[in-house]
Amino acid sequence: MTALLTAENLVKQFSVRGGLFGEKKTLTAVAGVDLELHPGETLGLAGESGCGKSTVARLLTGLIPPTRGSIRYRGEEISALDRGGVAQYRKDVQMIFQDPFSSLNPRMRVSEIVGEALAIHRIGTPPERREQVAALLQRVGLSPEHLSRFPHEFSGGQRQRIGIARALAVSPRVIVADEPVSALDLSIQAQIINLLQEVKEDLGLSFLFITHDLSVLRHLSDRIAIMYLGRIVESGDRENVLTAPLHPYTEALLSAIPSIDPQKRTRRVIARGDLPSPLSPPSGCPFHTRCPYAERLCSEERPELLEKEPGHRAACHFSERIYRSQ
Amino acid sequence: MPPLLEITGLCTEFHQKSGVLKAVRGVDLALEPGETLALVGESGCGKSITAASVMRLVPPPGRIVAGSIRFKGEELLELSEERMRDIRGNRIAMVFQDPMTSLNPVFTIGYQVAEGLRIHRALDRAAAEREAVAILSEVGIPAPGERMKDYPHQLSGGMRQRVMIAMALACRPELVIADEPTTALDVTIQAQILELLDRLMSENSMGLVLITHNLGIVAERAHRTAIMYAGEIVESAPTAELFAHPLHPYTRGLLASLPESGRPGEKLATFAGSVPDLRGELSGCPFFERCPIGDERCKGEKAGMTEAAPGHLVRCLKWR
Repeated sequence: MTALLTAENLVKQFSVRGGLFGEKKTLTAVAGVDLELHPGETLGLAGESGCGKSTVARLLTGLIPPTRGSIRYRGEEISALDRGGVAQYRKDVQMIFQDPFSSLNPRMRVSEIVGEALAIHRIGTPPERREQVAALLQRVGLSPEHLSRFPHEFSGGQRQRIGIARALAVSPRVIVADEPVSALDLSIQAQIINLLQEVKEDLGLSFLFITHDLSVLRHLSDRIAIMYLGRIVESGDRENVLTAPLHPYTEALLSAIPSIDPQKRTRRVIARGDLPSPLSPPSGCPFHTRCPYAERLCSEERPELLEKEPGHRAACHFSERIYRSQ
Repeated sequence: MPPLLEITGLCTEFHQKSGVLKAVRGVDLALEPGETLALVGESGCGKSITAASVMRLVPPPGRIVAGSIRFKGEELLELSEERMRDIRGNRIAMVFQDPMTSLNPVFTIGYQVAEGLRIHRALDRAAAEREAVAILSEVGIPAPGERMKDYPHQLSGGMRQRVMIAMALACRPELVIADEPTTALDVTIQAQILELLDRLMSENSMGLVLITHNLGIVAERAHRTAIMYAGEIVESAPTAELFAHPLHPYTRGLLASLPESGRPGEKLATFAGSVPDLRGELSGCPFFERCPIGDERCKGEKAGMTEAAPGHLVRCLKWR
């Protein structure tokens, strides 16, 4: 199966200044990421704040250019696309943002927010666009009377529905959703998860779903990739990654999730200390400073992301130990 | 002996131009020393205002209009502001959600942790600082002597939350109210902070009111759990009992809506409708419009708290 969207050795560096007169430093937010998104699948990308997952989202949607590495859409390198190709890619790959409060322009009416992309991509005549926008609102569970309202008149859940309608407006093939439910209340979160699942199935979309919440990930993803300090440390099929993790970070992440089911509570593997600063990442394996299994080798040599089981990759020198300890 | 904290019939209202917003509508809660009580609900249900009421820190135009809050038998609502100040931060302390906005950015960590000790314990500067270093080390801050000179922005989110906990615990309070203490943190850091709170609570046999919307945390940490909806407690029970036999349709719905409760890819249970407008009186059950089992009776009649099983209270006419 050919991948729809491929990232190869993707690197993004930002230059930051430490304080007003501080010296310039290079922050490597994404440090060589490989990802493949196949047609019709949901790939879940998880990791904690600062691991670079949102930067990956912005790179894949073309909102920011990579420092190095390649992004291919349907086999074609996007940096080499002509104008028409770029327009097609930008139409086909849409994004849903985390914060439904800051991602909608407060001065625009809902009809303008959702219809803007149609106008930019010159899809349909103005009356056709109006009709389509009304249909989209219905699709996401809002009613046509909401068309002339402004974002502040809506609740968080309704705003996220508007964000989803906006992403769906131009009939995309890929949706990159960056923490789309983490700002929402519990009962609203379930509604939005259901809606995303529905549109994905109805429209045959591929999803890159980014979240720090592994229970949401388990619910929605076909495959899962776990990021730590700018790198993918583990990837594989949902069940393999969640039930038999091969990286100690995944293991710690899974065991840290509090569960309502007393039977699901496992031995807690505590990741010691804090996330290291991406301005000065540790030598060797990025996780060795917090890892309960770390040995000398881990601080000296960075493990490659290797296939340890069929379709299940991990970047750890001692994967077998984690596997055996389960 | 009276309970550590006993709230009865608490009503807190906000008098605004657009009307009277009744945020807390007759809340009853009780807590024993060494016990953790979880207060659970979605945004706007009144859980944070209940906490602010206990501290007598309800932001204006809000005010407590009825009820009683007793701390070891003493009525807090009748104390002078001066007496309340002796209790606040000393015998009852609070841990807030967002350490970035609740720490003062222009004072060092050391100054802020030592401040309470100087005020409440009348320690001199040197003694307060020595004590502050000890507390920072107790909450797991590495090299606490050096961190004392740091400003909040120099610390990571997890470290700042530890500082908040250190500040709250500095005077060895008997009761701690923690309002979403780990919501701003990553899961691996969250696990560390919760372990820390647990350990400190049991070592000092403090009472903890844990306000959160994370049901997983509640299930693992709390002895008792109270579920709030539209300013009322709708169900309360020992935690294991509540999760094993939820009775109120709102509690049942919340549990069913968790991704953890569903099978991957299947639809999650949801509620229709939204929370009622809290301005003015509500006739009948506030959950009626969203309730899958409600009928005509629920629309007009207000349910009282019924003891469905020992210690398991539910506010529903149709819980059976």
